[in-house]
Amino acid sequence: MTVALLIDGVGVDFGGFKAVDGFSMSIDEGELMVLLGANGAGKTTLMDLISGKTKATEGHIYIDETEITNWAPHRIVQQGLGRKFQIPSVFRELSLRQNMEVAATVHPAVLRNLGSRLPADRVRRIDEVLELVGLDTRQNELAGNLSHGETQWLELGMLIVQNPKIILLDEPTAGMTQAETLKTSRIINDLKGRHTLLVVEHDMSFVREIAHHITVMHLGKFLASGTIAEIETNEDVRRAYLGSGGIK
Amino acid sequence: MLDHKKKFELLSYVLLFAAILAMPLFMDDFWLNRIAKYLVYGMLGVAISLSWGYAGILNLGQGLFFGAGAYMLAMSLKLASPTSLNQGADKPVPDFMLWNAEPGAVTDLCCINSGSFLWIPFQSQWFGVAMGLVVPVLLALGLGYAMFAQRISGVFVSIITLATVLLVRLLVIDAQPITNGFNGLTDLGWFTVGGFEFDPYLVQTYYLVAVSLIIVLLLTHWLVNTRAGLILQALRDDANRTSFLGFNIALYQTFFFAVSAGIAGFAGMLYVIAAEFASPTFMDLTFSISMVVWAAVGGRNSLIGACIGAVLINVIAASVSETETFVEAWKAILGFLFVGVVLFMPRGLAGFTGDLVDRLARNGKAKQDLAPGDNAEKA
Repeated sequence: MTVALLIDGVGVDFGGFKAVDGFSMSIDEGELMVLLGANGAGKTTLMDLISGKTKATEGHIYIDETEITNWAPHRIVQQGLGRKFQIPSVFRELSLRQNMEVAATVHPAVLRNLGSRLPADRVRRIDEVLELVGLDTRQNELAGNLSHGETQWLELGMLIVQNPKIILLDEPTAGMTQAETLKTSRIINDLKGRHTLLVVEHDMSFVREIAHHITVMHLGKFLASGTIAEIETNEDVRRAYLGSGGIK
Repeated sequence: MLDHKKKFELLSYVLLFAAILAMPLFMDDFWLNRIAKYLVYGMLGVAISLSWGYAGILNLGQGLFFGAGAYMLAMSLKLASPTSLNQGADKPVPDFMLWNAEPGAVTDLCCINSGSFLWIPFQSQWFGVAMGLVVPVLLALGLGYAMFAQRISGVFVSIITLATVLLVRLLVIDAQPITNGFNGLTDLGWFTVGGFEFDPYLVQTYYLVAVSLIIVLLLTHWLVNTRAGLILQALRDDANRTSFLGFNIALYQTFFFAVSAGIAGFAGMLYVIAAEFASPTFMDLTFSISMVVWAAVGGRNSLIGACIGAVLINVIAASVSETETFVEAWKAILGFLFVGVVLFMPRGLAGFTGDLVDRLARNGKAKQDLAPGDNAEKA
């Protein structure tokens, strides 16, 4: 298996406070890795570093063989990365379909977008994905009218039509009901194999639904890595989680 | 829902174009010339709507681009005026340069003063026209990229553009030997195409402005309906999300900022043709702010709304401010109008009529839905 995302000794120093500190891990192509850790462990900051939202002060990040450390976000995306934010972020004043159309753009340059139509295969793909996330009947509504869970799915759908090699998901089930969580895990399971995924999640029942491998972060550092069973019995992880009641 | 909105939009465009084109049937030369100037302001409304309404860039220095366009063409027309040609048709010199020339200076554009050589290429009217587009667009590309690549947004863009227009205004006034300072460029020749002279009071000149406005409206309407326009609206909604979909947002903002500047420059040239002068007042703060007020009243999210807003306010201003009772009160009325619109119609006239059409359509639909029920009862 080839490595799709390689993180090598990455860290960031916020004026003396190291939110992420010499963190390393690698994800194989087509794998789904769950990133676990207590509040403040640096999970979201790590995602910021990978996606270029925050600049790293040490270490290197590679997509396939290409180093992308501290590139501008849009260039990292063009290299094959997609990200879903913790607080769902969609274009609220555009219709669902327009949201998807923006995400499905083939060439990002201004002058390449002076036509009004998408290629037919992209249009078909939008139809498929809208159906996959279960929003096909509401595609002409404004995204601002969606419920919280539906907004999450729309953002997931946008990621899917964008078709990045690597997908970062920051708490994709935050604020969802049980039924919604179940549907989300179905969508994510559908992505496995075709995309490489890194998912930050707290909900262990959800993690059991989707994960192959888990990596645990603690205070900005790598703590442990392994299958669910290994992590649940890992002494270091238990100790780190004692303060917050252990893994449930 | 979308359907009747599109129909209403189409209808408003057709009505506006018809009204503009039919204007010469109802107006004398004097008013026609005035309306032509207001149509130029309407074009500025379109430029503001494009940058503010669609791109979310509140430019408080749009007068910079208007002024740049105006001065570029005015330089050419100044050289074409009879007074400038007094030196001989092959070596025109603007009168103000002669008045201020040092004793014994060569009366030629090359060297009458240290900056006058800049005027040499403007002996060609089409060079002036080209510069009237190129200079505003280049200024906007430079200024825009400098701001947007640094992720400067919101009120800071407004402050920077506002400071820039005032700075350039000062520079223009200060460069008296080549700009005629405070007085601006007056006593201009007529814009000439293939031997035809566009006397500002001719109906042809009115049509030159009117057709230009129609073309600008159609082009911008096309532009915001392209995929780039859609991405621009996405960007206004959530810049972060847009950049994480792989778009270089600085390039998008700069592009539309420059298009808006190009339209303002074009408007500046048309204004010079219709009003026969260019002056530093084009770069006054009040003028740039007025443009924003017009667009806000008309509806900044609608190109045609902002255009109509600009024309309407100026027509009202012209008639009201000439009534003796309102001469002094007019500015206050305009101020209250702006406050009222911002408070009660935040999306301007366009948003207000849009809502009205929505409600009418919904009522119509409700009646249709009811009709079969009525029949059933009767049966």
